[in-house]
Amino acid sequence: MLTKRQNLMETMKGGKPDRFVNQYEFMQMIMSVPITRVRPAIGEEKVNEWGVTFRWPEGQLGGFPVHDEEHILIKDIENWKDYVKAPSVKRPEEDWVPAIEAANAVDRNDQFVTCFVAPGLFEQTHHFMRMENALTAFYEYPDEMHELIDYLVEYELTYAKELIDHIHPDCIFHHDDWGGQISTFLSPKMFEEFFLEPYKKIYGYYKANGVELIVHHSDSYAATLVPYMIEMGIDIWQGVMTSNHTPELIKKYGGKITFMGDLDSGVIDFPAWNSEIIAKEVERACKTCGKLYFIPCLTQGLGISSFPGVYEETSAAIDRMSKELF
Amino acid sequence: MSKIAEVKAKVEAGKTKLVAGLVQEALDEGDKAEDILQAMVDSMGVVGDKFSTGEIFVPEMLIAAKAMAKGVEVLKPLMAGDSASSLGTCVIGTVAGDLHDIGKNLVSMMIESAGFKIVDLGVDVPAQKFVDAVKENDNVTLVACSGLLTTTMPALKEAVQTLKASGLTGFKVIVGGAPVTPEYAVEVGADGYAPDAGSAAVKAKELVTA
Repeated sequence: MLTKRQNLMETMKGGKPDRFVNQYEFMQMIMSVPITRVRPAIGEEKVNEWGVTFRWPEGQLGGFPVHDEEHILIKDIENWKDYVKAPSVKRPEEDWVPAIEAANAVDRNDQFVTCFVAPGLFEQTHHFMRMENALTAFYEYPDEMHELIDYLVEYELTYAKELIDHIHPDCIFHHDDWGGQISTFLSPKMFEEFFLEPYKKIYGYYKANGVELIVHHSDSYAATLVPYMIEMGIDIWQGVMTSNHTPELIKKYGGKITFMGDLDSGVIDFPAWNSEIIAKEVERACKTCGKLYFIPCLTQGLGISSFPGVYEETSAAIDRMSKELF
Repeated sequence: MSKIAEVKAKVEAGKTKLVAGLVQEALDEGDKAEDILQAMVDSMGVVGDKFSTGEIFVPEMLIAAKAMAKGVEVLKPLMAGDSASSLGTCVIGTVAGDLHDIGKNLVSMMIESAGFKIVDLGVDVPAQKFVDAVKENDNVTLVACSGLLTTTMPALKEAVQTLKASGLTGFKVIVGGAPVTPEYAVEVGADGYAPDAGSAAVKAKELVTA
């Protein structure tokens, strides 16, 4: 039996995996990195490390940035430098100890030591100034948006250096949602103009410093961006929704990138979930997407589910499909 | 190209800095405010169609709406009452328990561009608040309820059914949001459904002029 790592590599290179890679099993996330995001718990409101106010009301699945006139961070994109100040990434060495110990405890022959990075460049722009303002600014203030994104890239690179120096990760799991369910937010052309080179820099830096695997999360439609994903160095696109027609993407791009998802969380992960729905969806995904260049996984951006038991039941269903199809 | 045709083209192209000046030039050349407004409404119809077919994306739609708004500002003093909102008032909101506002805001913008006055109730709107807004505002012809989460679909149903059971008349209810399907819209008793902001404006107009 192959290790989780070997099985992933066989899947990605079109070799001979002996089972489906089961969701996030190949990544051992090191979540004790001391450079943490400030986030509200349920029912709380908090100002994060960049000055963005987030609220997580009771009953919601996550926190939301607060964008009324009082709370919005960038009030005037032409003067964004007055509002955006990158937080320091320096932490005392002793603060790194738990994360280093967690990384050292991982059997790297079996799993990839993985660092989690979020939010991404695009997400930051709309966290700072509201989605509508960010999207129109790409048209009306392109120079300022380029400057802002360059500033965020510099921050990400300093952050990356800390991760590399302390953890020596094998894998980076990087979030940036680039679309909704049926379309990307930006046209491919605009995406290329603003985000291709910045991400090439970030992912290139990680790869040049020992990171073997870049996994990018965007739980959305983004089929039209796959060529850019490949060019910027993404090895695995996590969060690929069924609206992307994943089997077609696998046929077209398999070997250059691997697709992780095709199990839409909205369809599976809800209060009245049941094992029949999960089994049916997992069977559909596994049978239509096939054994290579594909990792069946909930589209959720971490190895968890919103409703207790869904993630585990999905993993069990994937194991059953492995027994049937391998 | 006539000045009015130029206004139409520049709105479609989202030239926010040019439209106000062109509208003024069109007026100076003798074009009627109503005709200029109609030209801009028509160009937003084209923008909506292009969005629905995936030819353009959210920024292009936003920027076109912003360009139109600049033009409308020039026309407003010249237009009697609310004639820029000839299709009546649309009450819009994201249903209870759901905080997503981007899709709702896009729909709001496109419906406004089609000729409605907008009363935006924001997000996390309880069913009764939709009913209250219909009572409190004049000439409500449309209520638009948005829901993005599968978990808030019951709240969408409740909003539609509360509106329908309220005894109030004279308005239609349209629903939308990522998990909403035409079948679900029928099931909950909505009058209309639209899969995106562009078609929402078309459907809205169709519902209130039928």
